[in-house]
Amino acid sequence: MRTNRIEAKLEQLKEKNEKAFITYLTAGLPDMEKTKAIVKAQEAAGTDIVEIGVPFSDPIADGPVIQQASYESILGGTNIHKCFTAVEELRAEGCALPMIFMLYYNTVCHYGVENFVKKCREAGVDGLIIPDLPMEEQEEIKAFLEGQDETILIQLVSPVSKQRVPEILKDARGFVYCVSSMGVTGQSGSFHKEILNYLADVKAKSPIPVMMGFGITQASDIAPMKDSIDGAIVGSHFINLLRENNFAPEAAAEYCSTFKQEMSTL
Amino acid sequence: MSNEKAYYGQFGGQYVSESLMNTLAEVDAAFEEAIHDPEFLKQYHYYLKQYVGRETPLYYAERLSEKYGTRIYLKREDLNHTGAHKINNVIGQILLAKRMGKTKVIAETGAGQHGVATATGAALFNMDCTVYMGAEDIERQKLNVMRMEMLGATVVPVHSGSNTLKDATNEAIRTWAKTAEDTFYIIGSAVGPYPYPKMVKEFQSCISREAKRQFAEEVGGLPDVVMACVGGGSNSIGMFADFIEEKSVRLIGVEAAGLGIETGKHASAMALGKPGVLHGMKSYLLQDDDGNVELAHSISAGLDYPGVGPEHAYLKDSGRAEYVSITDVEAMDALMELCKLEGIIPAIESAHAMAYAFKLAEKMTPEQSIIVCLSGRGDKDVNTIADYLAGKGYLN
Repeated sequence: MRTNRIEAKLEQLKEKNEKAFITYLTAGLPDMEKTKAIVKAQEAAGTDIVEIGVPFSDPIADGPVIQQASYESILGGTNIHKCFTAVEELRAEGCALPMIFMLYYNTVCHYGVENFVKKCREAGVDGLIIPDLPMEEQEEIKAFLEGQDETILIQLVSPVSKQRVPEILKDARGFVYCVSSMGVTGQSGSFHKEILNYLADVKAKSPIPVMMGFGITQASDIAPMKDSIDGAIVGSHFINLLRENNFAPEAAAEYCSTFKQEMSTL
Repeated sequence: MSNEKAYYGQFGGQYVSESLMNTLAEVDAAFEEAIHDPEFLKQYHYYLKQYVGRETPLYYAERLSEKYGTRIYLKREDLNHTGAHKINNVIGQILLAKRMGKTKVIAETGAGQHGVATATGAALFNMDCTVYMGAEDIERQKLNVMRMEMLGATVVPVHSGSNTLKDATNEAIRTWAKTAEDTFYIIGSAVGPYPYPKMVKEFQSCISREAKRQFAEEVGGLPDVVMACVGGGSNSIGMFADFIEEKSVRLIGVEAAGLGIETGKHASAMALGKPGVLHGMKSYLLQDDDGNVELAHSISAGLDYPGVGPEHAYLKDSGRAEYVSITDVEAMDALMELCKLEGIIPAIESAHAMAYAFKLAEKMTPEQSIIVCLSGRGDKDVNTIADYLAGKGYLN
């Protein structure tokens, strides 16, 4: 059994021959209590992994939905310390769901890279997605991640990564995050024109599960590529859905169980 | 460090999404090839001479020198076509874009000078041009918005974050990540992911190459001090470039102190910033206690930027260059002085460098010399100047 929660979960899914369902939500939107309630509701509803977005003032990899969510969350007082506290509280309250921080590198630098990694391990953050940290710039943080299993760095690949894929996958942990289009989060209905070839290529090369994110709203969106991916990540659409339902945990739960259910019958 | 060539000491790098890494590699390869190709350089210098109007004069400012008791020379980048140094870099990058087979260019702009220069170059080389500009800057710089539109560019207002240059840059980077296959991003300042800081320096280094030769011919030897204003740092890195190895020359970069460093309303990344990551680079950056980027403040839209180019951060840490700051009031006083004593209306950006030159002159002798980069002309700022003067009752 793997000691990292993400890797342990993915092994279970593989044994059950199930695809993973992963959501993204911006921490502190509309407040941290709601965020925690939504995470717990998702765990109960069968979501496999959650990405918790730590808001940053200049989210260059995000489209309008997550930009606006981040902006509102910062205005509401969310910061990295409160995000760590929320994870600690969730763990103390028995939440065993794998949790990933999605954040920008400046937040890590400002905290101090070594202290940041240490705090992730202590708090129970299982993985990190840092969209402005390509493999060329990962040496600094990897030095502190090495030799432990609690917190892992998730690698991203894009439709134009091509010859870079083998190098990116070398030593990659957890899963590989395939972005479905060029550019930013939340452009629904506009997968890259080479999406099928691209995903098949990554799948063929990857020793770890392959997840697709960016622009997914419902399980049927991934039907065309179901043989090349091991799961789906929903971000901007999930935030829109939460907004439409006044951030009711029940709405999140219903969406998650439906998606997971529909994915099993693709 | 695995990405060593992208760094200036601990600063620089390529902090962008994976989608852009191959694009950056392509730009880097094309750039290195171009600047070693005599044909490319010939073309670049042809347009600098015949279209931009280089070389620009190194003007001995007689009345200022007399008043301040030291020899003050102005490198007249304000006399370039489009009114500022920005066009030097645009010509270089747009020739590179054409060479790479791109048909569209995008740019960010703050004061609008880089946007105007990019729109100009795009018209000249028949390329489709989109300029991202903060909604607040569009209000402040209406004249330049009109110029860009006349030149055929589409100006896209950016309504996110602070609605200024940093947000316009975010939006340009996002768009570029989506469209890099046919679009070249022309960055106007010495910022961004590698190789942009290197490219901008290369294409702005004509400023110091000329100034050094002009000074040697007209005066003899080297100046004692070379000075320029610093927002992101493009005119200053161009002004410093050929003097960096001349250790006897003091290099001084002048940042905007806005209402005063102590008020928190300033744009002095070097004075109070700490190393951080923004717009694809690691450099000094104004940030709050949570690591969010803090809004810069300056009366000058062109200096209103919370970061600074990575080579400047390195020049500061290595001690090779000094960085100081000048308030809005000091800059406006210097601007009026230049108008009245020399008949030159400078950009408010450039007036920051003038203001520090006047301060420093007090400690210099009549035989010593300062070159100040007069990076742009002030026509674009006339409304801001008028508002400021009305508030101060200057013209009464």
